[in-house]
Amino acid sequence: MRLPSFNYLEPITLTDALNLMEEYHGRAQPLAGGTELLPRMKLGLTHPTYLMSLKEIHELKGIKSNKNELYIGGMTSLREIFLSTLLQQKFLAISEAAGSVAAPPLRNMGTIAGNLCQDTRCFFYNQSYFWRRGLKPCFKAGGNVCYAVPGSKKCFSVYQGDLAPALIAFNAKVRIEKKGSSRIIPIEELFSGKGEKPIVIADDELLTQVIVPIPEGIYGSSYRKFRLRNALDYPLVSAAAFLAIDSEKKVKSVKVVLGAAGPAPVIVKEAEDILKGKKVEESAINEIAEAAYKRAQMVDNLGLPASYRKKMVRVFTKRAIENAFNSIK
Amino acid sequence: MKIRFILNGETKVIDVEADRRVIDVIREDLGLTGTKEACGRGECGSCTILVDGSPKLSCLMLAAQLEGREIITIEGIKKDSDMHPIQEAFIKHGAVQCGFCTPGMVLVSFDLLKRNKKPSRDEIREAISGNLCRCTGYQKIVDAIEAAAKREL
Ligand SMILES: Cc1cc2nc3c(=O)[nH]c(=O)nc-3n(C[C@H](O)[C@H](O)[C@H](O)COP(=O)(O)OP(=O)(O)OC[C@H]3O[C@@H](n4cnc5c(N)ncnc54)[C@H](O)[C@@H]3O)c2cc1C
Ligand code: SF4
Ligand code: FES
Ligand code: FES
Repeated sequence: MRLPSFNYLEPITLTDALNLMEEYHGRAQPLAGGTELLPRMKLGLTHPTYLMSLKEIHELKGIKSNKNELYIGGMTSLREIFLSTLLQQKFLAISEAAGSVAAPPLRNMGTIAGNLCQDTRCFFYNQSYFWRRGLKPCFKAGGNVCYAVPGSKKCFSVYQGDLAPALIAFNAKVRIEKKGSSRIIPIEELFSGKGEKPIVIADDELLTQVIVPIPEGIYGSSYRKFRLRNALDYPLVSAAAFLAIDSEKKVKSVKVVLGAAGPAPVIVKEAEDILKGKKVEESAINEIAEAAYKRAQMVDNLGLPASYRKKMVRVFTKRAIENAFNSIK
Repeated sequence: MKIRFILNGETKVIDVEADRRVIDVIREDLGLTGTKEACGRGECGSCTILVDGSPKLSCLMLAAQLEGREIITIEGIKKDSDMHPIQEAFIKHGAVQCGFCTPGMVLVSFDLLKRNKKPSRDEIREAISGNLCRCTGYQKIVDAIEAAAKREL
């Protein structure tokens, strides 16, 4: 499968990259590891005129930290995030999420920015041009039908990125830059919740850094991912959990976030009310799992039936919370 | 555009179109057909090459991204004119049937054994988890890599 033609740009500093994005009026599409964008280009789902590789911009790579925060450059590879001892010790769920993406060669290539900014997916959309040619374009392809939910008025494609749920569980933020300005937003604000255009980042902006506050006190975290094969597969459901406790083992704060449960990561807001100030007990975990089940929005557009995936939300929510608790040292 | 890189120890300077993929450059322009393309979309690992020492998929890389890199393909791992011990172990243990996945399997094992001289069977499975084989059922591939690791010690 060849690629459609495009022009190639390769800035070597962030300033050059931001200048190019402005100069090309948003038509210069960032290329990080290419592991998500190039397959979409091959299927003819997107046709960038200019691809701007970020590979040579060294200032966007690497993991740093100070007393309060962890900084991950947008071009840091998933392999580096997975293997970082700092992350394994203090941000287990993030390391687990990075280590669960695809397979080793893809983790050597794929980056955190590319992972966050990946498009939503659907069985009726992520197909070859030949396959799709027989059908009228659906909402996501600019048309006005949906094949997953006939009669619906919107797109239900699924956000299957692994990193976002784990990062949101840690209240992480992202730095977004364009020529002459920079803003920092909570990661959940990166997602529109709309399958048609799931990522809220302008054509002339770059995601340059992920910022994770270092939690205080005693805490644990975990990322659990449901898929058919233990390698290569995107999540069919996933859950990230963060849990901080006090010296009496009562919960000080908790955050549970679902992946592959809608067009954006889903925060299970009930978790805090259910567990805060209490001990981690099975009944409370079940209650959160039930709330997660209700929040998950699934339709028949991925590898397994929606009803089954939805049932798995309970199972993986429980596992994530239990593992987060057990990871507390 | 002109790119310069090291391929199996030799410096290459070639003229390529930006939209050509690395697998096309290696197989067609440079005539090294050991690297195989199967899925063409990152799902099988048969097109694996080593880029600055780590396994990457040549079907998802642009030729322009070879600039300044050091590439090793399956043709580049032999020692002098002999086969690499991993290749010998693959033959001896029946880890090759149709052979399409073999170059990728051998290269990821090469990388694994460089990082980890004594991998467990689970670590071997993890290392080859991005490489699909439709013939062998994987057991013999894991046997071969395990044997190669012991021999190298
Ligand atoms: C076989 C296979 C299996 C996969 N399995 C998984 C999986 O299990 N879980 C998962 O999460 N992903 C999976 N992926 C998708 C992908 O490999 C990863 O998400 C990877 O992290 C994407 O990063 P990248 O650097 O390769 O992104 P790219 O492909 O380079 O970019 C992805 C998107 O992000 C944009 N982008 C990149 N960098 C920036 C930036 N700095 N600022 C703004 N926009 C930017 C690009 O323009 C593009 O739209 C899989 C892919 C394949 C081929
Ligand atoms: S959910 Fe419907 S509109 Fe969205 S990509 Fe799938 S078929 Fe298209
Ligand atoms: S051909 Fe590259 S991964 Fe399958
Ligand atoms: S030997 Fe045929 S695919 Fe592995």
